[in-house]
Amino acid sequence: MLQLVVCIKQVPMVTELPWDEKSGTLRRDLAPGMMNPACKHALEAALQIKEKYSAHITVITMGPPAAKEVLYEALAMGADSTILICDKIFAGSDTYATSWILAQAIKKQCANVDLILCGAFTSDSETAQVGPQLAERMNVPAVAYVEKIEVNGKTLRVRRIVDNFRETLEMECPALVTISMENYLPRYAGLGGLQRAFGEHQIDILDAAALGVGVGDVKQEGSRTKVRRVFLRKTDKENVFLTGVAVNVVSEFLNKYERKISTVIGKSIEGKNRTNEE
Amino acid sequence: MPYNPSVKHKLIRDSVRHFAETELAPIAAEIDRNAVFPVEVIDKMKKLNYFGLQVPKEFGGAALDSVSAAIVVEEISRVCAAVGLCVTVHNGVAVFPFLQFGNKQQNEKYLPRLASGEMIGAFSLTEANAGSDAGSVETTAVKNGNDYILNGTKIFVSNGGVCDLALIFALTNTDQKQLQSSVFIVESTYEGFLRGELEDLCGMRANPVSSLFLENCRVPEANILGKLDMGMKIGMTTLDNGRIGVAAQALGIAQGAFEAAVKYAKERQQFKKPIASLQTIQNYIADMATEQAAARLLLYRACELKDAGEPYGCEAAMAKLYCSSLASKTTSLAVQIHGGYGYSKEYDVERYFRDAKVTEIYEGTSEIQRMVIARAILAKLTL
Repeated sequence: MLQLVVCIKQVPMVTELPWDEKSGTLRRDLAPGMMNPACKHALEAALQIKEKYSAHITVITMGPPAAKEVLYEALAMGADSTILICDKIFAGSDTYATSWILAQAIKKQCANVDLILCGAFTSDSETAQVGPQLAERMNVPAVAYVEKIEVNGKTLRVRRIVDNFRETLEMECPALVTISMENYLPRYAGLGGLQRAFGEHQIDILDAAALGVGVGDVKQEGSRTKVRRVFLRKTDKENVFLTGVAVNVVSEFLNKYERKISTVIGKSIEGKNRTNEE
Repeated sequence: MPYNPSVKHKLIRDSVRHFAETELAPIAAEIDRNAVFPVEVIDKMKKLNYFGLQVPKEFGGAALDSVSAAIVVEEISRVCAAVGLCVTVHNGVAVFPFLQFGNKQQNEKYLPRLASGEMIGAFSLTEANAGSDAGSVETTAVKNGNDYILNGTKIFVSNGGVCDLALIFALTNTDQKQLQSSVFIVESTYEGFLRGELEDLCGMRANPVSSLFLENCRVPEANILGKLDMGMKIGMTTLDNGRIGVAAQALGIAQGAFEAAVKYAKERQQFKKPIASLQTIQNYIADMATEQAAARLLLYRACELKDAGEPYGCEAAMAKLYCSSLASKTTSLAVQIHGGYGYSKEYDVERYFRDAKVTEIYEGTSEIQRMVIARAILAKLTL
């Protein structure tokens, strides 16, 4: 039976959260959390592999205690076991530190993993780094932005879209893929599944001590990037109101913006008709 | 986000909301306008256990607690009250009586089919001359060998147009001194089971509400739910539970209208500022939010009493009375905040406004709820 690990993240439910200007962090308290959409696609990919080839799915997330929610959701959708990596010293870890922590958890709890699936990117930070970095930490081959997976024993055939062409690659297990949002439309969690997630499963919680991780590996000390400053880009947009008779307004509009519009849509809108009408 | 007593309740709310917003929101206005029952979405809901909310797992149900079941109805109704009605009628008053009164054979035969949604259920008490006065049922059931022959007309049957199984209240003892009714499990395929035209109603138009005609409809004696002459008890017990469902539905409608009103108040500019900055509108919003929070607690209290095995009829009536009157009030205010646009079918609040009213009428009118509550209070020796 294939051993699959899916790494998921809880993200805020809205796409544009305000920043706290002092601390430079997102005001996550303003919106409820949800499973990151690309991670949900990765879980769906794992579930489809499980249905087709038989597999055991372990879902892992790192986050505050509230991140349990997305693990319960994963159980409701059909995951077999879940791990929450949770410790205050993990707060503030960048992708470099996060991938290291995830790798420790997988090595410790899922040593015989065949395939690790990650979402291609998260909707809150959009770095797309954790998946590939995790593959480096685990020293396994990785393919990003995968939209289809076929399993043949311990060989995987994966397809992805790169620029304007499709690429099919083969890789040996153990391996890592990050899943794009092209295919693998996530299933809805059924109500019976939700009920059972809370009654029949338990979530394993791993803290820094359990993982043998010290402060130097994580947080700011273990992170290679630091947020120095957060600011909103000033835009110099202005609203322009054109008033008057419709014919004159249209004419004035085209005179003022014709070139800009042509640049945006990629073709000239200057035509004989307009000249005639004028 | 409304109050959720536990992580499970939050996740169930999130999941149902996601489903409703993805599947029902895009079609809710259209199926209301054209009075169409959304079969395709209903089929998806069947697979996700929406038709077996509280049915035990061994019969294929989701085995949810009552707060969870209420949240499901709330969240569906927040987007589309007509489908919320289908779900709450099926689960609350068609499936529930099996769980309470069904014998082993009946449950084994019907619960799996009801829980999977293979059969959609309906509850038929109301007649032309029997509504609030449940004792005035005129439909008769006369014993004939091992069967009963049913004759009569049921009206305003929610799910009537699509139900595969209806619980029919009929008189089994017509002696004027001791009128007794019983509840019959009637499958829609039985000979003599006929449906009337769909009603052309003010709100929840996507729910196929119809009359049901029983014309010498032959029903096996084994299909008497519970025991002979138990109709009144089954009816009253079922309505207690049904009221929790209608309260949840009304609360969902109120929540939907409230959210639409807040969103609109923040967007709509008058006097060169959003109308949400006007104190009158803020008062409306504050009152709506507060009353909704109170309504939710009242509803969940009834649910928790039910799950604890305590009497909950009075609390269910209170929840139903309060939530339904709140739904009417909130939807009316939501239309008011929208101004002229709220009176247009372009905006969802117009639909919510029409949907809300009937929650004060069916499953016992508000006047009947007050009777139930007062009766319970007055019967107490200490308050």
